[in-house]
Amino acid sequence: MEEPKVELDDLEVNQERLKQNTNQLKNLRVYGSLNAGMIAGILGMDGWIGMGIYVVIFLIVSACLAIKMNFRVKEYFKSSYDAYYSGIGTDLLLFLMIWVIFHNLVNIL
Amino acid sequence: MSDILIDDRIRDWVFLPIIIVMFMIQMFRGLLTKYMDNKKTTQKVTSKAQVAEMIDKNITQQSQRLARLHGLLPDHSFKMKRAHLCDNKSGILTKASEKPAKDPMQSMSMMNPAAMADMLKQNLSGIVFMALQYQWVSYFFSGFVIGKVPFPLTQKFRSMLQRGVDVQNLDVRYISSISIYFVLLFGGLQKIQQLMFGDDTDEFVDDTQMQMQMQMMGMPTMPSFGQQNDPGKLFIAERTRLEGVKHTFELNKSQDKAIKSLKRFLNQ
Repeated sequence: MEEPKVELDDLEVNQERLKQNTNQLKNLRVYGSLNAGMIAGILGMDGWIGMGIYVVIFLIVSACLAIKMNFRVKEYFKSSYDAYYSGIGTDLLLFLMIWVIFHNLVNIL
Repeated sequence: MSDILIDDRIRDWVFLPIIIVMFMIQMFRGLLTKYMDNKKTTQKVTSKAQVAEMIDKNITQQSQRLARLHGLLPDHSFKMKRAHLCDNKSGILTKASEKPAKDPMQSMSMMNPAAMADMLKQNLSGIVFMALQYQWVSYFFSGFVIGKVPFPLTQKFRSMLQRGVDVQNLDVRYISSISIYFVLLFGGLQKIQQLMFGDDTDEFVDDTQMQMQMQMMGMPTMPSFGQQNDPGKLFIAERTRLEGVKHTFELNKSQDKAIKSLKRFLNQ
C-alpha cells in the first residue's frame, strides 16, 4: 500500500498526495465491504448480526490503517475522523448487495 | 413459515445470468463513454456572452487562488496583487461586481449547446440502459421467487420486492427477480468495476452515479451552472474575503519550521 507523506501545516498540504491517499483509502474500504459481505453471506448471518459484521470489519480496516501509518494520522490525512470513521455509510449499499448475493448463492439456491 | 426450496435451475439460469449481464452492460457503458469522450472535439468559444462568462470564471479563480496561497508571497507583492483586484476605483473585482444580475432564463439559454448535448447524451445512455435492463428482467424472469434477503423486512416492502408473485402469505423475505435487479443497481457495480479496471473510469462513474441519484430524487441535474443569477454578489463576497485576509509571509517562519522538523527527525 503506497501512502506518500503529507506535511500538515496550513499552507503545506500537498493536494496531489492527499488525493492519492484518499483514493487508496476508498479502494481499501471497498475491499473491506466486499469481504464483509462475503463473510456475512457465506456464514448465513441474519439481520442485525450481519450489520454488526460490517461495522466490525470496517473498524478492523481502520485499525490496520492506523498500524500502517504508525498512528501518525496527521501526516497522511486531514484528520483522524476523516481517515478512520467518515466513510462508513458510502459502502453500505455495496455490502448489502454482496451479502444478498452470497447468502442466496450459498445458502438457498 | 417453512423454508422454501428453490430449484437449482433457477440459480443457473436466472440468478447468475442477471448478475453477469448487468455487470457486462456496466462495463460496456464505461467503454461507450470512453469512446464518446475520445470523439469529442474541443469546443470553440463562439459567442460574446461565453467569453464574458469565461472572464468571470477566471477572475473568481484568480481571487480564490490569492486568498488561498497568500502565504507564498512577500508583503509588497501581496499588497500589489490585492490592490489590483480590490481597489476602490480601478480594481477588477469592484468593476465586476457592478454588473447587473442576469436572470436565470437568459443565462440558461446562453449555456453553450454543446454542453447541453453532452449532458443529454450521458443522461440518455444511463436511462436507456436502465430501462432496457428493467424491461428485460421483468419480461423474462417475472412470476417466481428467486431468493431470500437475509434481514427481516416489514410488509410495506412486499409490493416492491415481490412484484409478480401473488402469493399473499409469503414471507416478505422471499424476493422476485426484479428486486435483485434493484439491489444490483443501487449496490454499485460501478465500484467493483472501478476496483478491477483501475482509475480510468473514475470521472465517468462519479458523473452518472451522481446524476442517476439526482434523477431518482426528482431534482433537475445542473452540474456546472454555478451561480448564474447574481455574479455581482459573488464578486462582492470575494472582495470582502480578500480584504479580510491577514497576510504573513511564510518564509519568515521558515527557521522555526526547520528547527521543528529537524527535532522530529532526530527524535525518531
